[in-house]
Amino acid sequence: MFQKTVGFRVFFWASVVLIGGFVFLPLLWLINTALKPAAETFSLAFFSGPMTLDNLRGIVTDPKIMRYLLNSLVVSFSSSFLATAVCAFAGYSFSKFRYRGRKFVMGLFMMSQAFPQAILLLSIYVLMQKLGLLGSYYALMISYVVFTLPVGTWTLKTYFDQLPDSLIESAKIDGAGNFRIMWKIIFPMAVPGMVSIAIYGFVWSWNDLLYSMTLVTDTAKRTLASGLVMTFLGEASTNWGAMMAASVVSAVPVTIVFIFLQRYFIAGLTSGAVKG
Amino acid sequence: MIQRDPAPRLRGLSDRHTGVLLVIPGLAMFLAIILYPFISAIYMSFTDRSLMRPTYDVVGFANYAKVLSDPYFGQTVLTTAAFVLLSTALPFLLGLIWAIVLNQGFRGSEFLRGVTLVNWIIPGTAIGFLWTWIFNGQYGILNALIEACGGEGQTWLGQTETALICVVIARTWQMLPWYMAFLLGGLQGVSLDQIEAARIDGANNWQVFAHIVAPAMRGIMTLVLILGAIGNLQHFDLPWTMVQGGPARATTTLSIEVYKTAFKNWNMGKAATVGTIWALLLAIFSFVYLRQVNESD
Repeated sequence: MFQKTVGFRVFFWASVVLIGGFVFLPLLWLINTALKPAAETFSLAFFSGPMTLDNLRGIVTDPKIMRYLLNSLVVSFSSSFLATAVCAFAGYSFSKFRYRGRKFVMGLFMMSQAFPQAILLLSIYVLMQKLGLLGSYYALMISYVVFTLPVGTWTLKTYFDQLPDSLIESAKIDGAGNFRIMWKIIFPMAVPGMVSIAIYGFVWSWNDLLYSMTLVTDTAKRTLASGLVMTFLGEASTNWGAMMAASVVSAVPVTIVFIFLQRYFIAGLTSGAVKG
Repeated sequence: MIQRDPAPRLRGLSDRHTGVLLVIPGLAMFLAIILYPFISAIYMSFTDRSLMRPTYDVVGFANYAKVLSDPYFGQTVLTTAAFVLLSTALPFLLGLIWAIVLNQGFRGSEFLRGVTLVNWIIPGTAIGFLWTWIFNGQYGILNALIEACGGEGQTWLGQTETALICVVIARTWQMLPWYMAFLLGGLQGVSLDQIEAARIDGANNWQVFAHIVAPAMRGIMTLVLILGAIGNLQHFDLPWTMVQGGPARATTTLSIEVYKTAFKNWNMGKAATVGTIWALLLAIFSFVYLRQVNESD
């Protein structure tokens, strides 16, 4: 796109060094600190001094933190599954069916992206308290659908819009009912879109701090993000090695999901997804 | 030929009914956890509801009078505005440059793009921990580097003048990949023929960028700026993990204020009031966003 003039080369290499350094060095510093033995935590050695897995071992053998990790997995998987299913049904309905009120409901979904999540939380908290769900997994599982529902429905609607109506018509002529067409023909073709939404929902739930700090009142049910904040914030003598190791552990599952499903990830990311 | 329908009774359902039936789960969840909470929070802002008491009274505009006359509230709005402005502009600019670099298509650029995105994927909590450690006044790497160059270290997160900018830097680090991904997509959509033609007319790199690339990407740039600003207006994780809205409210944005008022001071009514005013501010951005989306359709 741009010619490799001297000026462009200078711009290119200056950006590689400065932005590249800014983007990559902090993460390496995180890993580096996590791998240093306790006595070396404050040394400036960059992957050059002695290294140890003690910090990481300390985190993965801490039953409390492993409990948080398990909670995060349970909550993130189930809320992501729930959200994807609900979004797929609604997106299909918006895309291929016509009924009164459809446009209005679509508008409502779209608009709700702009409702601040913190304000929704106030009434969700009161609601969950009334229902006696505070401190259960359900409170988080259900609330996390907030993050995915508007974006997910919209994205999948656009996805279904691209599938030709003639597909449905010809299946109907063959005598298939609406639900059969949906399960056997339409949904299988929309798998990439659904995977994007599932990943989006999973990452949101995994990374959320605000909801999990407030809606989970039982320490044993905490998710990783809020569990780590509770564990490490305000500790008098901050154990940086352990803190960095914990950060590495919390980042691993989402990074794995990302590495294997990168293609869907970028599709989901650029389909109009916001991250707070 | 498709086999006999296993649910013959559903088959009798008209298309219209099927459509309605399919939207019911989504609509039910939408009403339960988005629309009802939103309306109920607005109602709450007119009450003196507290998590300390089971009962509450309707107090009219008393919360609004209290919030709007509170000198701290103005400060919170300004802090939020500064945070939104800086942490949208900075990662946008850096993300654009980074996208231009990666779009050059050198060996390993695909890989770099993937690795860049990791910053965006990992939990905000981890990012908060990392930058708290980098900015640490006693042992942080930033001070160590500054002192090695003969400068003087600062307690970056402990000073009201520097705390917000530290949070902005962490947020920039987190969001740069997100802007990069969008803008890279935009760059790849720019017509190369047009650039070719301009080159023949003797256009240099800067002219190609200013007259062809930038105009072609106007839509996507506006979109990421608006979406980015909406995200930043809602952002909670980093100012909370790094400094809990401190020191002395220096990083208390609206989301931190709502959280603290409701769940630290247990004053739901006042928190809902701040939230409602905030939602009005967000509505302005969203209006622009929706118009943009409709335009690009």
